[in-house]
Amino acid sequence: MRLLRSELLRARSRRLVPMLIIGGLLGIVVGMGLTAIYGGEASDAEIATAQTQYDKDFAQCMKGRFLEHGGQLDPRYASLEEFCRDANAPSLDGAQLRDLDLIVQGISTFVVLLGTLLGASLGGADWTNNTMTTLLTWEPRRARVFFTRALVVVAFVGVITLFLQVVFSAAYWLVAVTRGTTLFLPTHFWTDVAATVGRVSAMGVALGLVAYVIAMVGRSTVASLGVLFGYLVLVEGVIAGFRPTIQGNLLVRAASVIVSQQPILDPTRELVYYGSGVSGAVANPPILMDVHRAWIVVAVYLIVLGGLSLFQFRRRDVS
Amino acid sequence: MSVIEITGLRKEYRRMRGGTTVAVDGLDLSVPVGGVFGFLGPNGAGKTTTIRCLLGLVRPSSGQLSMLGADVQRSLPSVISRVGSIVEAPAMFPRFSGRRNLEILARIHGEADIAIEAVLERVGLRDRAKDLVKTYSLGMRQRLAIAATLLRDPALLLLDEPANGLDPAGIVEVRELLRSLGAEGRTVFVSSHILSEVQQTADHVAIVAKGKLIKAGPVDEVLATTTGNGILVKVADLEAGRRALANANIPLTMVNDAIRADVPPADSERVSRTLAQAGLYVTELRPDTVDLETVFLELTKDQGVGD
Repeated sequence: MRLLRSELLRARSRRLVPMLIIGGLLGIVVGMGLTAIYGGEASDAEIATAQTQYDKDFAQCMKGRFLEHGGQLDPRYASLEEFCRDANAPSLDGAQLRDLDLIVQGISTFVVLLGTLLGASLGGADWTNNTMTTLLTWEPRRARVFFTRALVVVAFVGVITLFLQVVFSAAYWLVAVTRGTTLFLPTHFWTDVAATVGRVSAMGVALGLVAYVIAMVGRSTVASLGVLFGYLVLVEGVIAGFRPTIQGNLLVRAASVIVSQQPILDPTRELVYYGSGVSGAVANPPILMDVHRAWIVVAVYLIVLGGLSLFQFRRRDVS
Repeated sequence: MSVIEITGLRKEYRRMRGGTTVAVDGLDLSVPVGGVFGFLGPNGAGKTTTIRCLLGLVRPSSGQLSMLGADVQRSLPSVISRVGSIVEAPAMFPRFSGRRNLEILARIHGEADIAIEAVLERVGLRDRAKDLVKTYSLGMRQRLAIAATLLRDPALLLLDEPANGLDPAGIVEVRELLRSLGAEGRTVFVSSHILSEVQQTADHVAIVAKGKLIKAGPVDEVLATTTGNGILVKVADLEAGRRALANANIPLTMVNDAIRADVPPADSERVSRTLAQAGLYVTELRPDTVDLETVFLELTKDQGVGD
């Protein structure tokens, strides 16, 4: 516990932490400012038009036209009506609060990058400053140091990413209220947004931990970021391009599936459609990675990389 | 009773292109409790590696190490709270203040803020404690590192080259600090290659070269192992003085602008009388004592030191 308190103080004192928070807040202010400038409150006529179109689409939906997967209702919905209220979006200009969930998914790349940067720095800074030697002369139990640091990464990345996303969501709500619309919200809107925010933070933490354990092996922040960038380009880009079936085992792909809740389909297998137009659907889609598998992939990466990192941290000399 | 006991310590490093480098080669060492113990050797002698092995930073290839009665490889955590250490350059976070660096370390062992203030006062950094470490001079960083070692009120201090990079005033300060710490009953194990410093501070010394122990014991005992002391004499006519002393069968050597009579300092009267009887009056006469540097060079001359 004492070591944890010491590590929290050390992490809190890092200049990078306020820099990332201030940078994130500035980004939110600029983004929301632009949205407010280019947006505008919808007129009554525009809302009425959108409502008419929405009612029309809703009626179509209630006939079962938009159902997928063999015409089965998604088990998350209690009724067809509930599904149709979510599936149909009225078309209006300006900031629409109902888009918040998708926007949060859209900014997840930045949030996860922030987590990665923080994790790499919390793992690598001590090696760069040579303070790992000092720390280990105070606490020679290396496994304890390793896990405490990991806990600090989880706490800091989790809290900071949650904070920034909550601020972002609040700012977007404010812009939607003043320069857009808060109409046409789906049934579980705030629950879904909260779940997405939580998943994005969880992936920020996961990637932060991966960056941390790599930094502990490479004994440098730059090495960690370099390895992750190389992995992203080489494995997730080039190799996955040549052999698409390995996508079901890749870390960043898994994180993306978890955030979006959309499975990755096997591009090498032909899709079998039935129906036509907007009601067309895929029969038994060939899924490479569904959400359940994505969580397992992320967990396996963490356990394997973490185990290797801990093993070498305990074995290698510190000089 | 020994506070540090090292038996057959050996450390090999694998080279990138194959083969091994032996940093420590079967070192045996016993450090008595209390006082200042000088651990001497040239660069590359294995001093830092030995200290790193004692602190568990480096895994020995073979050998046994115990510190404060605990086996280092098995029970280091049980005694580490009583050991203060500096290994090579003092490593602190440059963008944190001096006080913040100490706070981070103090929390590991639950030390109170009052302890931080006390050690800052003791090393003379209280006025600069709020400043970032990156603005500190090397000497101030060294003093901050010493302050960190004192936070735990240690029974044993392992200090690797604590006077490195210090100006003369800083060296004197560190010397006084080490003396006072040793006088308090703590054991101060200090490695250095500045032999004159160690000679003024240490009660015991060990000399190592190429990873092996060459000589160890109380400073006086180690000094007595060399060829002996002499007397430096200056007279106006050096050649006449040389002849007079030679005629009196006093062994001598000529050194620059003086004569070195190779006899014990107790024979000063005989040297002085011999010269006076020859009509030569000394302008300077002083014992030419052997210092640790001379002893060190003599003991390590077969080890290829300085290669």
